[in-house]
Amino acid sequence: MAGLTTYEAWVWALNFTAELGLFVSMSARRHYRKFPLFYYYICLAVLQSIVLFVAYEVWGFNSPISERFGWGTQGIVLCARALVVAEICWHLLGHYSGIWMLARRILLFFALVVALYSILTAGWRWNETVLKADRGLELTIGVVIVILFLFARYYEVVAEHVVRALAIGFFLLSCFAVVNDTILQHQLKEYEFFWRLLSILAFLATMSLWFSALLRPMSSSETMPVLLPGDVYRTIAPEVNVRLRRLNEQLSKLGRGKEHRS
Amino acid sequence: MFYLPILGLVALLVILFFWALRRPRLGKSAEDQAAGCEELAQRHITFLPQIRQALEPADLDFLASRGSAGLPRRVRKERRRIAFSYIAALQGDFQRLLRLARVIAVLSPEVGAVHEFERLRLSVQFACRCEMLRFRLLCRLAPLPQLSGLGHMVSAFAVRMEAAMNELGERAAMAAELAASLEGRGIDAR
Repeated sequence: MAGLTTYEAWVWALNFTAELGLFVSMSARRHYRKFPLFYYYICLAVLQSIVLFVAYEVWGFNSPISERFGWGTQGIVLCARALVVAEICWHLLGHYSGIWMLARRILLFFALVVALYSILTAGWRWNETVLKADRGLELTIGVVIVILFLFARYYEVVAEHVVRALAIGFFLLSCFAVVNDTILQHQLKEYEFFWRLLSILAFLATMSLWFSALLRPMSSSETMPVLLPGDVYRTIAPEVNVRLRRLNEQLSKLGRGKEHRS
Repeated sequence: MFYLPILGLVALLVILFFWALRRPRLGKSAEDQAAGCEELAQRHITFLPQIRQALEPADLDFLASRGSAGLPRRVRKERRRIAFSYIAALQGDFQRLLRLARVIAVLSPEVGAVHEFERLRLSVQFACRCEMLRFRLLCRLAPLPQLSGLGHMVSAFAVRMEAAMNELGERAAMAAELAASLEGRGIDAR
């Protein structure tokens, strides 16, 4: 491809092969049943690579049309990625309806806060806006994944290995994109080649992680946890909180008691 | 250097993410923990008189008047050690009870956001206050005998929790059965 070094072109080709391999593997193993949105995301990534290849062939890698076209397709892929993150959230917590409802509200709140922050700081110059919007979306994805896993840890919900691998992959991709976009925005354009190469390598590493995770056997049956009757929570939760509150009050009295003494 | 805050945020996210990914340390198996909830109510009640006795200041006065000069110091040191162990045990029991509440929340079809946030806030507060107490003990600022009140609170809490669970009869049994099915430590999300 014109504008790409041979080395970059080879890495790019390797990347495309990995995407295609993952897509074929997922199709053969029928993983689309369990992870439909992730399957469509991989499908979109393959399509993006093909479309970009054609675009670079037609307009050249460094032309402004190619750049805009590239960012446009990236926007679609990024939205698909956000949907996959929602799928990951559901796989991790969706079977526990009580905490899932709570988690959904918390995650949406954080996603909105980060997205709003990104919009407010995006600016309205084309070259900066695209990078900042991309960074904002990636940051939102990263924050949502972190909050999700903190939430899961708090409630001691252990993620299945595939869900874990998918989350790690998306999180690392997002973090890398944020760092990449941030550094590109601040007078480090001379390292653009280096960063472009690194992002391809990061994506390749993520693909390998997903590939190996999806090769491992998955639980075939969807075992739904047996939930308790609703009044168990309604009885126990307020009781626990009242006791905790009293204990805390007692503890604070202990502290104050000493101050009076001394 | 405008990008430093963003890079800092990413670093923080990476640390938090990998910390959250780590499996929590398993103290006991789920079955042991289910049984532990039953034992919990008895544990503090069983040892509370001894703990109270160990923290009684009258003994120190007696030793100071009768024993050698070094003896009260040694006893005070021992008692401080006991107080530290006691706080650690209280925190352990407290955590087990919190875990029971969390397991119930996870397995409930509906949870109250207010209850959950309040419990989170209170447990953070409890942890902070325990650390403060430890610090005060270390600096010899905390009154040792009053620690027994703390133990009493947790014991009473445990007894009420146990009673509530017993009242629920077969529902509590179902909770224990489900808790026992939580392989290892966590709840397997499949």
